[in-house]
Amino acid sequence: MTFVVQQTLLFAIPLMIVALAGVFAERSGIINLALEGIMIMGAFVGVYFVRLMQDFDVFLDAARMGNYWTLQGLELLAMLVAAVFGALFSLLLSFAAVNLKADQTIGGTALNLMAPALVLFLVRILANQNTLQMTQGDAASWFMIKKSTFGVDKNVQWGFLGETFLNKVYLATYICILVFVVLSVILYFTKFGLRLRACGENPQAADSLGINVYRMRYAGTTISGALAGMGGFVYALTATNCTANGDVAGFGFLALAVMIFGNWKPLNIALGALLFGLFKCIAAGYGSIDINGDGVFMLAEIGISSHLYRMLPYLITLIVLSFTSKKSRAPKAEGIPYDKGSR
Amino acid sequence: MNKGKTLLNSDSSRKVFASLLSIVIGLAVGALVAAIVGLSKDNIGGKGIWDGVRLIFLGLLSTGREAGQLTWGFNPSSWGNMLFRATPLIMTGLSVAVAFKTGLFNIGAPGQYLMGTLATLFIALEIPSEAVPPAIIWLLAFLGGMLAGALWGAIPGLLKAFLNINEVLACIMTNWIAANVVTWLFDISNLKNVAEGTKTGYIYKTTFNNVATSKMGLDKLFPESQVNGGILIAILIAIVVYIIMNKTTLGYQLKACGANRHAARYAGIPDKRNIILSMAMAGALAAGGASLYWLSGNTEFYWITYQALPAAGFNGIPVALLALNHPIAVVFSGIFMAMLNIVGQQLTTLTAYNEYITDVVIAVIVYLSAFSLVIQMWLGKRKAKKGGKTV
Amino acid sequence: MQSEYIIEMLNIRKEFPGIVANDDITLQLKSGEIHALLGENGAGKSTLMSVLFGLYQPEQGVIKKNGEVVTINNPNDATALNIGMVHQHFKLIDVFTVLDNIILGAEDTRMGFLQKQEARKKVEELSRRYGLKVDLNAKVEDITVGMQQRVEILKMLYRDNEILIFDEPTAVLTPQEIDELMATMKGFAAEGKSILFITHKLNEIMAVADRCTVLRKGKYIGTVNIADTTKQELSNMMVGRPVQLQVEKKDANPGDTVLEVKGLTVPSKIHKNDAVKNVSFQVRSGEIVCIAGIDGNGQTELIHGLTGLEKTSGGTITLCGKDISRGSIRYRSETGMSHIPEDRHKHGLVLDFTLEQNMVLQSFQSSRFQKLGFIKNDAVRAYADTLIEQYDVRSGQGPVTIARSMSGGNQQKAIIAREMDRNKPLVVAVQPTRGLDVGAIEHIHKELVAQRDAGKAVLLVSLELDEVMNLSDRILVMYEGEIVGELDPKTTTVQELGLYMAGAKKAEGGK
Repeated sequence: MTFVVQQTLLFAIPLMIVALAGVFAERSGIINLALEGIMIMGAFVGVYFVRLMQDFDVFLDAARMGNYWTLQGLELLAMLVAAVFGALFSLLLSFAAVNLKADQTIGGTALNLMAPALVLFLVRILANQNTLQMTQGDAASWFMIKKSTFGVDKNVQWGFLGETFLNKVYLATYICILVFVVLSVILYFTKFGLRLRACGENPQAADSLGINVYRMRYAGTTISGALAGMGGFVYALTATNCTANGDVAGFGFLALAVMIFGNWKPLNIALGALLFGLFKCIAAGYGSIDINGDGVFMLAEIGISSHLYRMLPYLITLIVLSFTSKKSRAPKAEGIPYDKGSR
Repeated sequence: MNKGKTLLNSDSSRKVFASLLSIVIGLAVGALVAAIVGLSKDNIGGKGIWDGVRLIFLGLLSTGREAGQLTWGFNPSSWGNMLFRATPLIMTGLSVAVAFKTGLFNIGAPGQYLMGTLATLFIALEIPSEAVPPAIIWLLAFLGGMLAGALWGAIPGLLKAFLNINEVLACIMTNWIAANVVTWLFDISNLKNVAEGTKTGYIYKTTFNNVATSKMGLDKLFPESQVNGGILIAILIAIVVYIIMNKTTLGYQLKACGANRHAARYAGIPDKRNIILSMAMAGALAAGGASLYWLSGNTEFYWITYQALPAAGFNGIPVALLALNHPIAVVFSGIFMAMLNIVGQQLTTLTAYNEYITDVVIAVIVYLSAFSLVIQMWLGKRKAKKGGKTV
Repeated sequence: MQSEYIIEMLNIRKEFPGIVANDDITLQLKSGEIHALLGENGAGKSTLMSVLFGLYQPEQGVIKKNGEVVTINNPNDATALNIGMVHQHFKLIDVFTVLDNIILGAEDTRMGFLQKQEARKKVEELSRRYGLKVDLNAKVEDITVGMQQRVEILKMLYRDNEILIFDEPTAVLTPQEIDELMATMKGFAAEGKSILFITHKLNEIMAVADRCTVLRKGKYIGTVNIADTTKQELSNMMVGRPVQLQVEKKDANPGDTVLEVKGLTVPSKIHKNDAVKNVSFQVRSGEIVCIAGIDGNGQTELIHGLTGLEKTSGGTITLCGKDISRGSIRYRSETGMSHIPEDRHKHGLVLDFTLEQNMVLQSFQSSRFQKLGFIKNDAVRAYADTLIEQYDVRSGQGPVTIARSMSGGNQQKAIIAREMDRNKPLVVAVQPTRGLDVGAIEHIHKELVAQRDAGKAVLLVSLELDEVMNLSDRILVMYEGEIVGELDPKTTTVQELGLYMAGAKKAEGGK
């Protein structure tokens, strides 16, 4: 059970935070199809930043001496850097969509093409291979919070809650949950949130009330870029052991599906992300899931092909969308360039 | 000067010019990235940068390296391979373009391409060539591939028409489902190449069953290359698509649905049927690209593909965008994209750079095409239409 | 020194690519007056108000408040000068509550968080004081158009605006609601607020305005005192030539029944109730039957159900003796229906197609324009040329003009040309004159009467009371999805019609 919860969270957290990234862009009126590309960018920048920092003695010593809190600091710093670069990268989309009134779908596609191309190009040149890794150690040895982090012997049992939520977890997971809650509150209970949502529904109305639609849309997309960049690094850190190879396995697109499934509302999105995380977890680890703890790996033993499990998340997404799409309600003005001068 | 002005005033020449400008900017950005990276890396140096930049622009004309210097000239193998690789790109480009004309963004070409691969290879390898003439098998494999793609493409069409699911999302999901289905079916098939033990994970080439596209004499023009008649078939199909889209009532209906679905409905044009039809056509075209590629007989398919989607599918998007969705222009932009592919190959073999720089170029071109209209307007500096307000 | 005028707009010029929307226009608003701004569609009224409201910057001219020059770069500046506006198309966020809509842009916050208690109290107080009843917690999409307008008015009052602009406020209201609005406006003026009232309806100007400024084709025509003028004089100023306020037509001479609708029911897309409930009527050849009603009472759905654009859930439709209730859109129109749609941009035209492509939108599959699936380009061109000539459709490049680049009036003419030339026994025309200027309106009215006289059955849907009264031979009034009365325009009055439209009166058992 601990395994299922941890694995589910592993997939659900990046999905959730990136789906929220989608919400901020779309609620301001910009379709951010580039989530995937921005994640790829964020993953690369974060991992590269970690690599660069590994040259500094302060972190090397910390890893050697078991000074975990310094390393947690490095993890947070890397998240921040990934967020900043994600935001910068998303400016390409905002500029095209807001200033040039470009087709947002195509603009997003361009970013999705750009990110893996640039990342692979650079990774190949920097690392002489197709995957960028940490120069020494890995995510588990440097960043994972374990019993030894607290100075506890690993044979000590912590009970279900402790084993699940304190042992073998990443701080990034909890930071993401915190950020998710804070931003959701901002979206609904602040002046900024109210105005942002107004721009995605009826920019003409917002403009007539003195709200700068262009600025709000830049703000929405930039927050979106920062979240997606951070989510990309969190995915790389927790799901692929702090490596970057110009690919996040379609998570950006899955996040879009989660966003639509969640009807552009944070609470529903959190639930949707958990659901999809669960299916991803089943797809990735169906062979080692022991549902009721009796030592029988039921999913593996029913004899269903591993191929089916692997396509399950995508199949479920489609099926769920089929049921929810009729009721779903996108922000009314999303995807439509706002032209102040249009009459 | 005057001549230039009239040239720019024509709508279609302005479009061509906008596309050319996108290409130049894309290549320049590629060169710039190469230069910046080169300057920051000690092992590349000034000469390395200069070589890289020249290859980005002129890689097609490279014949290799002699005594440390790049050599230039007609490289028949490059040209032939370019045409060979252009074949699937033209087809996926047509696929994306047809869907675009109907107002749909077919990002599902990779999945359709995979389904075409699946059907084509099964038909081409499973029908015994001792019993059936290879030419018939070829035709069946080609048509079967297109049919499979049409059916697969129709799925997002159906979801869009009847359940109003965003076709972009549906296409992305069906892509990944296709990748898994294809891996699955090949996994349980007997088509895995065990005869040539050198590599694992590959399917037999169609030549194992004596099925291959005719060279149509192109191998004489471009010796030592993979070129075959597929490129001519692709061009023929582009012409057929052009005629369908511009000269027939079917094309008129598809375009009407794309430009204004409500007005099409108002005029009694069955919009749902047209959306499904358009996606099916798009699927057939993308899958046809796969058929032509694998039926060449000289390439083998890596079947463990569930983690990766074929680039030929995605690259249909830049091909179509660069061609502004014009079927004949797709032929040229497809060949251009294939040329970039050759360029990438030359960069990898001849310099410290790698082929991904050309993907950066493609991404820049797509980015520019997102506001192609702005560029066109800027080029024309056109005056606003006058006399619009009189009744 | 206190100026006589609270707001002055002097010599304003505003250009858009290709046209001069405002050419040297002067408007002076006295404190405490109701000042009407009169002009046709496209005369430049909305542009001028957008300049005053800071949405556009003029190329020339100055704006003064209380005699001092002010610059208004955005709506915030306008609000700071206590200028507020009720836009013609309401600027409301559908999914927000009424209260959120009112405070949007002028929010109270504490540390960034919204504080709504004070605002709620203030709005409730204003609502009570001026009798503007609204439900603060309801979402805008769930409330009536009349209440939406009250929300817009409250938005201005909440911002303590002293100068209130009303842009075509009566278009969406019943005659009774119009009376209420007029009373409210007079109340504001009596309190010292100054009101700019934009309209093209002469009756309303005569009823409430103190003075009136007239614009025509972007130019300033003059300012008159209402007490010293007449409707006819205002009308002449607005149009530039004497206008027939009355449509000339002979008595109707109805023949056989062309369209028979029985018990038609159409479900709503927005709410659970039916948008059209059990509606029955018939239209005979040689008569114009007009469906009157306030916007949103099921007229759109009725026509969509009739033409096949939306699925019906009950009832039968018989056209020329054939049951078309289950027929496709194509089948219905081929059986005998021309349709001038409500929204010419959404349904009537493919804006990115050329004019000639649009001309054959309904008929491209006939053997006249295609052979074996190939379009006969020459035949299409020749046909388009004929229609352009016959219906005087003006455009930049003739048949190859992109429809988007044409003026609204010519777009509508193109649709009418296409639909009339199909020569079907039933003509369905939905708000055929919406957004057009007087010249184009006259033209379209004449065409509809001509169709009637040629023996066609004409089903007209209109929101304009004048059009209803002048054009129709019979009036069917729709209210909340039902036909609540059938009236004869010769014997009824606008007031009576209004009572039916507002649902205050209902004929028993229909006809």
